[in-house]
Amino acid sequence: MTNGAITTTQRGDRRIPVVVAIVVVQAIAAVFFIADAAVDITAGEWGLHILAEVLIALALLAGVALGAWQTRRMFETAHRNEQALQIARGAVAEIMASRFIEWRLTDAETEVALFALKGCETPEIADLRQVAEGTVRAQLTAIYAKAGVSSRHALSSLFLEDLIEVSTDKGIFGKGAPPEGGDAN
Amino acid sequence: MTVHTPTRRWDPLVKITHWGVAAVVVVNALIVGEGSIAHIYAGYTLAALLALRILWGFIGTYSARFSSFKPSPSRALGHIADIRAGRHEVHKSHNPLGALMAYALWACLAVIIASGIGMAGAPPAVDASISASEFISGEYGEGSEGSEREESQAEELFEEVHEIAVNLLYVLIALHIAGVAFETARSGKRTITAMLPGGK
Ligand code: HEM
Repeated sequence: MTNGAITTTQRGDRRIPVVVAIVVVQAIAAVFFIADAAVDITAGEWGLHILAEVLIALALLAGVALGAWQTRRMFETAHRNEQALQIARGAVAEIMASRFIEWRLTDAETEVALFALKGCETPEIADLRQVAEGTVRAQLTAIYAKAGVSSRHALSSLFLEDLIEVSTDKGIFGKGAPPEGGDAN
Repeated sequence: MTVHTPTRRWDPLVKITHWGVAAVVVVNALIVGEGSIAHIYAGYTLAALLALRILWGFIGTYSARFSSFKPSPSRALGHIADIRAGRHEVHKSHNPLGALMAYALWACLAVIIASGIGMAGAPPAVDASISASEFISGEYGEGSEGSEREESQAEELFEEVHEIAVNLLYVLIALHIAGVAFETARSGKRTITAMLPGGK
């Protein structure tokens, strides 16, 4: 819940209220302007002045409509990004869970492995789990042995490898485009 | 690794128009004089917020579109049966009772705005000669021409309609807040937080 990926979608989310606020101010301006123009128009006296007012009114309305449309697009993009992230998270979690079971990690080791994969240092993990650093180090050694690797770095690589394999298998970099971003093509 | 249930969420435009309307209604009721210039401005501001929300009902995001919460008395009755039976259905937008309330509130606001504009006409110009207190509480358009000015029949009708609709709006708002409180107690605080800034 605290990693960098979320903030990317949040950044997208955060621009939206600003655009909406502008649209709202524009809508209010448009209503006042149109009410004023309507009085002028009912008073008769067609001329350049009224033509200008009508044009400005139309421009204001177009601004509101375009702003609204833009808002919807931004909202939907942000939403889709978030969903893609959820799906990716789900996939990673699934792969990790199945590996951990395969390796027969104990509950404590599973937790330590998760923290290690999230990038926590040994003292941090000890702090989070309220155990001695020595305990964590021993658990990490057990995890590496069960996974058949020799370092934390190699452990992470195992998962990255899996994910990249899965991706190319499913043709995500080929025909099936990634859900959003499309940086592959 | 959190569990994700499908969630309805309100986009910023729904939130800003909602709290904008609520703020204008409350501020107008509490501190703005009935016949003042500020009152007329409040009405036009409401008109803009309501018009924008209605536009958004056609072109907006999924949860905000009218097609996601069609008014339906039969589904409202079904929803009451759900409440009785303690069933919790997931709704993609307002629940069927909430939908009826939203349309009722909007219709009521529309009548108030239309009758108000019928009485007051275009927004009066404001210049530096008008003090803030005059703006907020001074009577606009009366006094100098003799306060016992003849009111046209149309004007009387607008006034009558305006008054009735405003009272109805206050009743609806009370029911609305009671409904939100009830739904919050029944289904959890996400009902309210979904409408708050930053809430999902
Ligand atoms: C004072 C005047 C108020 C008015 C005129 C008003 C009006 C409305 C309207 C028209 C909607 C439909 C929103 C849409 O789809 O755009 C709505 C929804 C909502 N309002 Fe209000 N509201 C008011 C005050 C409040 C207050 C004080 C609260 C908080 C306690 C509140 C909480 C909500 C919530 C949570 C929803 C979403 C309902 C749902 O889940 O279906 N409102 N309101």
